[in-house]
Amino acid sequence: MRYRVFAVVAAALVLSVVVATTAQSSRAAGQTLTVWLQVDAQNGWPQVVAAANSAFKSSHPGWNVNVQYQSWGDHLQKFDATIAANNTPDVIEMGNTEMTKYMAAGAFSNISAYKGNFDNSGHWLAGLKKSSMFNGKLYGVPYYAGSRLVTYRTDLFKKAGVKKAPGSLKKFEADLARVKSSHKGKGFTPFYMAGTDWYSALSFVYDYGGTIATFSHGKWHGALASKKSVAGLTAYKRFFRSTSPKSAAKLNEANPAPYTVFSQNRTSAIFGPGWFSCCTGKKYTKVTGQFVMPSHKSGKSMPGFLGGSDLAVPAQSNSQAQARAWIADFTNTANEKALQAVGNIPNATNLLNGTVNDRAAKASWFVPTAKHWVDVENGNILRTMLGQILTGQLSVKQAAQTASANIAYTLNQS
Amino acid sequence: MWRRVANGSVPYLLVAPVVLVLGAVLAYPIYYLVRISLEKFTLFELVHGAGPYIGLGNFRSVLHDSIFWHTLLRTVVFTAANVSLTIVGGTLIALLLVRLWTPVRILLTVGLILVWAMPPVVAVQVWIWMTNVQNGVLNYILTQLHIGNYDGHNWFGTPFSQLAMATTLIVWGALPFVVITLYAALSQVPHELVEAAQIDGARAWRVFKDVTLPVIAPILYLLTCLSILWDFGVFTQVFLLIQQPAIVPENYLMGVYLFEKGFLAADFGRGAAISILMLVIVAAMSIFYVRRMVRVGEVT
Repeated sequence: MRYRVFAVVAAALVLSVVVATTAQSSRAAGQTLTVWLQVDAQNGWPQVVAAANSAFKSSHPGWNVNVQYQSWGDHLQKFDATIAANNTPDVIEMGNTEMTKYMAAGAFSNISAYKGNFDNSGHWLAGLKKSSMFNGKLYGVPYYAGSRLVTYRTDLFKKAGVKKAPGSLKKFEADLARVKSSHKGKGFTPFYMAGTDWYSALSFVYDYGGTIATFSHGKWHGALASKKSVAGLTAYKRFFRSTSPKSAAKLNEANPAPYTVFSQNRTSAIFGPGWFSCCTGKKYTKVTGQFVMPSHKSGKSMPGFLGGSDLAVPAQSNSQAQARAWIADFTNTANEKALQAVGNIPNATNLLNGTVNDRAAKASWFVPTAKHWVDVENGNILRTMLGQILTGQLSVKQAAQTASANIAYTLNQS
Repeated sequence: MWRRVANGSVPYLLVAPVVLVLGAVLAYPIYYLVRISLEKFTLFELVHGAGPYIGLGNFRSVLHDSIFWHTLLRTVVFTAANVSLTIVGGTLIALLLVRLWTPVRILLTVGLILVWAMPPVVAVQVWIWMTNVQNGVLNYILTQLHIGNYDGHNWFGTPFSQLAMATTLIVWGALPFVVITLYAALSQVPHELVEAAQIDGARAWRVFKDVTLPVIAPILYLLTCLSILWDFGVFTQVFLLIQQPAIVPENYLMGVYLFEKGFLAADFGRGAAISILMLVIVAAMSIFYVRRMVRVGEVT
């Protein structure tokens, strides 16, 4: 009997040793570079990823690239888990608003010395470059940016007698009113915007000269309750109420996606990233157009949120040189041009060529570059404020004051 | 001599694997949890592998957070509502099962088992599709039946409606286990007792209260305790159904609060403190359950 017990224990021990060693050896022998990209690449430009992989493999014989696609909602939590397990990817894509927290924590390698290895690094877009730097050191490579555009149905605008892109916000509102009276459909509104889509909504704040927060005397100060910011939020409320479905006041842009609403013939215009034109539905591809959102000041464009991504090499990666080489292949001139062709803004100013996207990028705004900004995003402080404003739960001023205080508190955490 | 020693050690050897497994999967993680709950452990410390000891600082900051207390109260109310709906609904369906024609009973049981077999993540996605504001089948059907104009109705407009939608999903998923267990318990109710009570003129409610209930009470108690433990810590359904962009302190439940403060904000020390507090609360609640189990053991 006891021999059997010993045998079982011994077998278990042997088995665990075998498991442990195989796990070890497969890691050591694996000439595999693990890359985390966001699903945008998988859906929008898989050919660019394939081109980078084949260029990398031909210059690094014996290496494989394992691209794992992540979603924006949970990729940071997954990344934290890999840090805890000391098993991070070798390359990771980060949203430009997400970089600061991780650079401050020391999660990425300093690649300042290798800047020259990356194409066009002397001309990187200022906004993206800024998001890749911390304390004067470079921790990321700009990947691409995206500006915000109005995507609209050319046929419905024509039917309503609207011949050219609106020159001011007021004109746009009038145009949308004409579309509304000339086209009737079930659940149709001339414009669709998820009410709590702060990337779009806060453009109104910046259009009126407002801002989210300012930094002075070593502290962040909330600025949404300032006179200019409140004027912007009030303009947003008016525009939303006169053009968009009431039911969207508390919705977010993830569910339903604005382009889905567009593709179902429920709206004639949406405001969002330039790549929204990808998914407006087969039926409407030919009648999809884009223009830059007009400002309340005639002849100017409304500043749009300059979203974008950077690529970083986690400090724990064992393949630092290979990771940098892959990033260089992925962001070379040819690939950046391919990204531009599908509606993105390339990572360098010398590649801009005057498309509607590039024009939109000229007037842009960005979130406060604070370590705790990502906590403001995760806490949905701005979304809560917008929902309160649009439903009339609180006055613009009250909602802005609450949000402003919350933002200052969050940004000033140690 | 050797033989005696060896014989004496056999029980220890037999219990050793269990102790080892429990030590590996339970004791060490709990030790680690307690350790980082006493440390400042944020993303910076995670990257650098160690955090400074700060005593009870994390606990103090959680207990001084008014959001914690609001969340706790909300979770207690939410748990009470979910458990009541589950147990009452489950009992009614189990009573129905006893009365049904066999083929219908089999059909219903198969349906319940299919519900049981569906992973929560899949169920959440189906719920989201059904309640979609633009194209949801729920809005469509309600409008077609002229119950009202539900075109464009947002089922997740307020914290209350968000949690109510989560309740429908949680109760729906919890019913099969309760129904099937209670159905088994009901089969233990002696027929002759029911018959005797009926002959004596007892009505349905009286029969249930004085004959059926005493027999199924221990099982009912056990199911209630288990449901409380499960619903108190619920996360998957609530988090995935409401979705991160709409999660705000006004709709936090304890599981979500823990995730938001611990993981999303990458303050793992604070997260550890919250989960220890939750552990204490759950342990306190399970005292009743454990005591009952021990007592049941003594009686039989």
